[in-house]
Amino acid sequence: MLLVSLLLHLLVPILYYSPLFPKKAIKKPPVYRVNLVNKIVKNPQAGRPEATVAKKKPKVKKKPKVKPKPIPVKPKAKPKVKPKPKPKPKPKPKVVKPKVKPKSKPVVKPEPTKPKVSKAQENTLAKRLKELREKKQRESAEQARKEKLAALKAAAVAESEKVDSPISDAPVGMVDGKGDEAGVRATAFVQEFIQQQWSFSKYQAVGTPEAEVKLFYNAEGTLLHYRFVKKSGHEIFDESLARAIAKSKQLSQPLPEAMEFDIFFNLKDMLDKP
Amino acid sequence: MKLLRVKLLLLFVVLLVPSLSLAARIEISAPGEQTIPLALTRLLPMGVGGSQPAIAREFLQVLEGDLELSGLFDLVDPASFMGDADKLGLRRTEIDFYQWRMLGAEALIKGGYRRDGDRLTIELRLYDVITQRLLSGRRYAGKAKAVRKIAHTFADQILKSLTGEKGPFATKIAYISKRSGNKELYMMDVDGHQPVRLTNHRSIVLNPDFSPNRKELIFTSYRNDNPDLFRKEVYTGRESRVSLKPGLNIGGRYSPDGREIALTLSKDKNSEIYLIGTDGTIHRRLTNHYGIDVDPSWSPRGDKIAFVSDRRGNPNVFIVDVRSRDVTRLTYEGKYNATPAWSPKGDRIAFSRLDEGVFNIFTIRPDGTDERQVTFGDGSKEHPRWSPDGRFLVYSLDRRGSGKSIWVMRADGTGARQISPLGENDSHPAWSDRW
Repeated sequence: MLLVSLLLHLLVPILYYSPLFPKKAIKKPPVYRVNLVNKIVKNPQAGRPEATVAKKKPKVKKKPKVKPKPIPVKPKAKPKVKPKPKPKPKPKPKVVKPKVKPKSKPVVKPEPTKPKVSKAQENTLAKRLKELREKKQRESAEQARKEKLAALKAAAVAESEKVDSPISDAPVGMVDGKGDEAGVRATAFVQEFIQQQWSFSKYQAVGTPEAEVKLFYNAEGTLLHYRFVKKSGHEIFDESLARAIAKSKQLSQPLPEAMEFDIFFNLKDMLDKP
Repeated sequence: MKLLRVKLLLLFVVLLVPSLSLAARIEISAPGEQTIPLALTRLLPMGVGGSQPAIAREFLQVLEGDLELSGLFDLVDPASFMGDADKLGLRRTEIDFYQWRMLGAEALIKGGYRRDGDRLTIELRLYDVITQRLLSGRRYAGKAKAVRKIAHTFADQILKSLTGEKGPFATKIAYISKRSGNKELYMMDVDGHQPVRLTNHRSIVLNPDFSPNRKELIFTSYRNDNPDLFRKEVYTGRESRVSLKPGLNIGGRYSPDGREIALTLSKDKNSEIYLIGTDGTIHRRLTNHYGIDVDPSWSPRGDKIAFVSDRRGNPNVFIVDVRSRDVTRLTYEGKYNATPAWSPKGDRIAFSRLDEGVFNIFTIRPDGTDERQVTFGDGSKEHPRWSPDGRFLVYSLDRRGSGKSIWVMRADGTGARQISPLGENDSHPAWSDRW
């Protein structure tokens, strides 16, 4: 009985590897390595610490033991390295050559071309791994910093909301304002800006003039056009508005988007004062 | 098919909604700047005749004074002027508006002068800096001594351009002064310059009032021992007695059309308000009360007269309807309300009120509402009178120890300035119409 059981157990793998059960070869797709952090730019190393290291490459020459010269990551250094090293293995310059113009592909690694893993490549891989680890550390530090900043912002917003302002949506910079660093609302900003450009004396006022003007601004804060929806009938008053609008042709800061404003001008707050 | 149509309609609506972004509604209920930034350059010599800095200086000083009194302007500091201020160019194309705009000016006055012997020509331009539009351009010609008058006249023109109504600077103020030892009638410019003595009665002269349509005045004088009403032509100097009824002939005021005079007569032993013709004949008796009725002041339409009466105890301001003679009471506060003056626009009545031993000037609407005190501080302010445009008030200020002097201020009580010197006991001012 025991023997039967043993035979049956043996039979299963035999049958599995027999031609009765053909196995489909699973095709593995080629593996590409893409650097997601750094954009492909004309000069990817400019202004980065790595670039400085690359410039110092000549120092490396002093060490005679440095064999793995043709590291493809540092394209700039290569032309300089070329004349010095004598013990160059032949296949290596071939790898370097396509890299002479480093503008286009600093990120893509043509690794699969080499079937054999040389010592130099092992070193390169080790260095690369080290770099990746460092990058990960940097990223995690950056993430932590961002989280901290977000927490601080949230605290500031909570604090600003505690300010009891008599004017809802009072803009930043006003005595009773309670804005945050996100900035002033576009309408409040435009209201303030145009009001500042408007000069009119109470000694010019006749009656209680009111006018309505439509203004169309693009996102850059440039006045595209305007029109009087309703004139006050008081020529001096209407002229003062036209002057204010002429002075507001260009806002001092852009708007979040192209906007249209319907502005009602009157003298309520000026004439009410004795 | 129907479903497809509905879908298409929905798609259209969805596509349309973002493009019909709603306009943000904003209300701006007061200007950011409540004065007009004005750059006033000095006059530059034009053509032959050479430089006459005294003319340019005097013109600038007069014009600046008028514009400051108006309260309309904020004058740009001349120290900040750039090259364009030294260029004579008066044409629009010759002016560098960008410079003036950089200084924040919205209005610009440029001008030039030419002196040829005693003949003076001044050319002036008022520009809107923002729109680069000519608002006013004038050429004045006259004698060299007319420079002040030219400056006042152009100040009136500036106000006309920027407010729609002429200023009152080229007018005159009559007043009573004791500088000769007696109370005599004088006349001066609105800024107090060029005082001229008009009477030599060597007695007491009181209560002057300008005719609305002729260059003449009425006033009360004790020259003949009785307070009679006189008329005086300013330029000819001709003088005559208009009303010489026994007792008081005081407080005469021309009607707005100049055909009648309202005054106080006490020929019947009690002072009442009467209307008389310019020849002195009595037309009507307006009040009939045992109380004392004095100080009449016409409404600009000529249908009502404000006056002072003690018929309810303390002196207060009342209004009588000229046709019906119905009397209504205007003021209720204070122990002593006096010298009402109806504004040329008819919207307010100014008067002086005694409170805590000092007179101050108040204004009130003719319906008795919105009473406002417009003067404060030391000294009694009395005899308020309006400028012909209703923008300003002239009054006398009596400060103990330094005597009475004439002051001018804006109708809201701001910008008060002394225009007659101290120590000469100047009082009872009256503002002329357009001169």
